[in-house]
Amino acid sequence: MAIHELLLDPTGTDEAGQESTLSPRPVTLSGLRIGLLDNTKPNATLLLEEIGSELQSRYGAGETRLYTKDYFGTPATADLLERIADECDVVITAVGDCGSCSAATVADGILLERAGVPTVSITSDSFLMSGRAMAAVQGFPGFDFHAVAHPMASLTAEQVRERALAALPEVLRILGVED
Amino acid sequence: MSTTLDVMTAPDVDADRVREVLEYYWAKEWTDGLPVVPVTESYLERFLDTVPHDGADVLFTIPHLNRSLTVRLAAINAAMAGCLPEYFPVVVAAWEAIAQEPHPARGIWQSTTGTAPFLVVNGPIRGEIGLNSQGNIFGSGFRANATIGRAIRLGCINVFGLQPHRLDQATQGTPAKYSACIAENEEQSPWAPLHTDYGFDASDSVVTAYVIRSVVHIEARHTSVPEQLALDLADTVRRTGALIHEYTSALLVLTPEHADVFATAGWSKDDLRQFVFAHATRTRDELSAVGKDALSRKSRWRLSSQHPDSMPDTASATDDPSLVRVLSHPTSIQIMVAGADNAGVSAVVEVFTLNPPRENPYSYSKIGGRS
Repeated sequence: MAIHELLLDPTGTDEAGQESTLSPRPVTLSGLRIGLLDNTKPNATLLLEEIGSELQSRYGAGETRLYTKDYFGTPATADLLERIADECDVVITAVGDCGSCSAATVADGILLERAGVPTVSITSDSFLMSGRAMAAVQGFPGFDFHAVAHPMASLTAEQVRERALAALPEVLRILGVED
Repeated sequence: MSTTLDVMTAPDVDADRVREVLEYYWAKEWTDGLPVVPVTESYLERFLDTVPHDGADVLFTIPHLNRSLTVRLAAINAAMAGCLPEYFPVVVAAWEAIAQEPHPARGIWQSTTGTAPFLVVNGPIRGEIGLNSQGNIFGSGFRANATIGRAIRLGCINVFGLQPHRLDQATQGTPAKYSACIAENEEQSPWAPLHTDYGFDASDSVVTAYVIRSVVHIEARHTSVPEQLALDLADTVRRTGALIHEYTSALLVLTPEHADVFATAGWSKDDLRQFVFAHATRTRDELSAVGKDALSRKSRWRLSSQHPDSMPDTASATDDPSLVRVLSHPTSIQIMVAGADNAGVSAVVEVFTLNPPRENPYSYSKIGGRS
């Protein structure tokens, strides 16, 4: 006689907790300190500095502070994230333009949001799905981030500036800033 | 313990129901694309009974993905992959070896690079579970090889979420991502088996894990001159297309016929290793011709010395900067014997190598080694 049993879930994700609440949005950037988290990928520093300077000149943001990750393929260390959360009011992090670093950039954004800091993660659009998959495994499946046009690494300074300007409306939308 | 199905009689089944069950797994995306074996609690227990571990013991964690593979999850995925329960101790040792490798825990299986886990099994377990070591070793046809390698792939997909197009962003990947588990042909090797190189007894059973790029074949049916054959191997090891960082590493999988060319001439494995190490070089001009004659300051990837981010490579600071080694250590070359004793056809398995290079580019675990 046949014995009926349920099939088993091979993922082990049942017990994983979900925490998908964004940190409080700032409404205005006026006087706020902007953290720029550079993952060391080519053109990341320039893209972040261009966005930072636009936020200052057009939206009255305060000073910017540049932070650099040790390794682009995994999220920033707990120490670095804690320091950024202590020192900054909002954060922009870039640029996730490879398999592991796109996911890591999204994870950094989620970890900073959970530490109470509104954060915009920037990947390239070739890695949109990787970023979304990382958000799902981090228990934040709808996490909103910005995907700039791929590629980033081979761009000239002028082209990076164009990417920064194109990203600006999305950065403001994700930060909840009223234009 | 073996399967209870009487394989001599064609079973009478509700085929629609069987297909429905398989479709459920496809719909859940709990597969590599091929059908999987349905697993329930009672079948799972037969796997867990083969190892001394607790089901909740963690074998491998990828911290930044918030995911851990327990023995229980390893067993569910092994059973789904088509393993028999008696294969499971090999799967557990494979995960223990993979957990010691530096790159998988740091996200290499999300990378565009597209590497695969690659397993080598040594010792008496090969005969006990029917692992193929002679003929078509990189091909299909042998349940133990096919399903042990696949057990790792399904674990990556299901437990770590390494689904292609999502967390797995491999640009092209490799066929080895379906399954890659070979056994050494110890019986037809003139040398001591691979695991004795790490200090194990030949009577121990051991899994060695590599993270690999490609398996490249060497056609050399024409020669019994060891230097000619060794140069043919070195030429493939040193190909410029293999270089992402400064150095590469390789596992030479020699057929018995090729191993005998060396052994008959009195070469040990270490003699071959040293010869390949010495000849795995490129001239500065050859690297310049492909734009790989310097390193990136930021990433230490090879690029052209004309690039604004470039810095000189290690060889530039030596007495002969025009000659560039592509291997950092003689042990960057590992050597084993596998395949049929029927032709002079061997393979170079290219082992993924970052900066700084590791002296020993593999990890291993003894089967049944933990209690």
